[in-house]
Amino acid sequence: MRKTTSIIAAVAVLLCLTVASAYATTKTATIRVEGMKCDKCSASVTKALKAVDGVQKVDVSFEKGVAIVEYDDQKVTEARLREVINATGFKAVEEKTSSAPSASSEGS
Amino acid sequence: MIRKIIFGVWLIALPITASGQANQAPAVVLKDLRGRSIRLDAYKGKIVLLNFWATWCPPCRAEIPDLVKWQRQFRSKGLQVIGITYPPTKLRHVRRFTHAVGVNYPILLGAKKTRALFDSSETMPLTIIIDRDGQVRDRIEGILLPEEFEQKVKPLLDQN
Repeated sequence: MRKTTSIIAAVAVLLCLTVASAYATTKTATIRVEGMKCDKCSASVTKALKAVDGVQKVDVSFEKGVAIVEYDDQKVTEARLREVINATGFKAVEEKTSSAPSASSEGS
Repeated sequence: MIRKIIFGVWLIALPITASGQANQAPAVVLKDLRGRSIRLDAYKGKIVLLNFWATWCPPCRAEIPDLVKWQRQFRSKGLQVIGITYPPTKLRHVRRFTHAVGVNYPILLGAKKTRALFDSSETMPLTIIIDRDGQVRDRIEGILLPEEFEQKVKPLLDQN
């Protein structure tokens, strides 16, 4: 009897974890970055964003002055991404999130 | 037979010696903001962070407070940050900025070719990590992140 209860509990935990991960979504944030005038300097934005837990893909264009970031919204927020950009000496001036939800398992 | 063994050992040792020479930090002598000549090899025995930066580069300016903090925190363990800036830059901007931020390490005036001695990329900022023996241990392109300092610089500071 005790063994059966343990198995049921384990299955329930596993089920919860599966459901939780299915709800985790990958979002894409397009963040305008002010002050990126040199290609040589913009590498720091890419590097700093990639170091953030939950960030999956980063595409920084100094010509367009934008950072396009794919991230797991269960782990990091867009506000945090903007803070990280600001810490590199540039300024994340505008946020324009195009939510592109997809199962996190697809992104990984 | 002995000749063959000696030749074999020589062949194995050759690339190690060659790479050792390739990693040696170049001998550089530059002027500081007061016009004094500073030799890079005078810092042998210390862990040197050679930071190439410019006043016009926002990430360079953003990382300097961390460099100042680490210099203060790890000076007793042998850390020596050295900033190198080069044209296009205005000396008065360099002086004003370093004074405002409270830079506590030497700022040297180089040229683009000074930087080329250490790295072929053009990313700014760039930090060269040099160990106590004067060997280049790593090149960090972009801001030196705190986690990189922990992983790449702290272990060197802990070695005596």
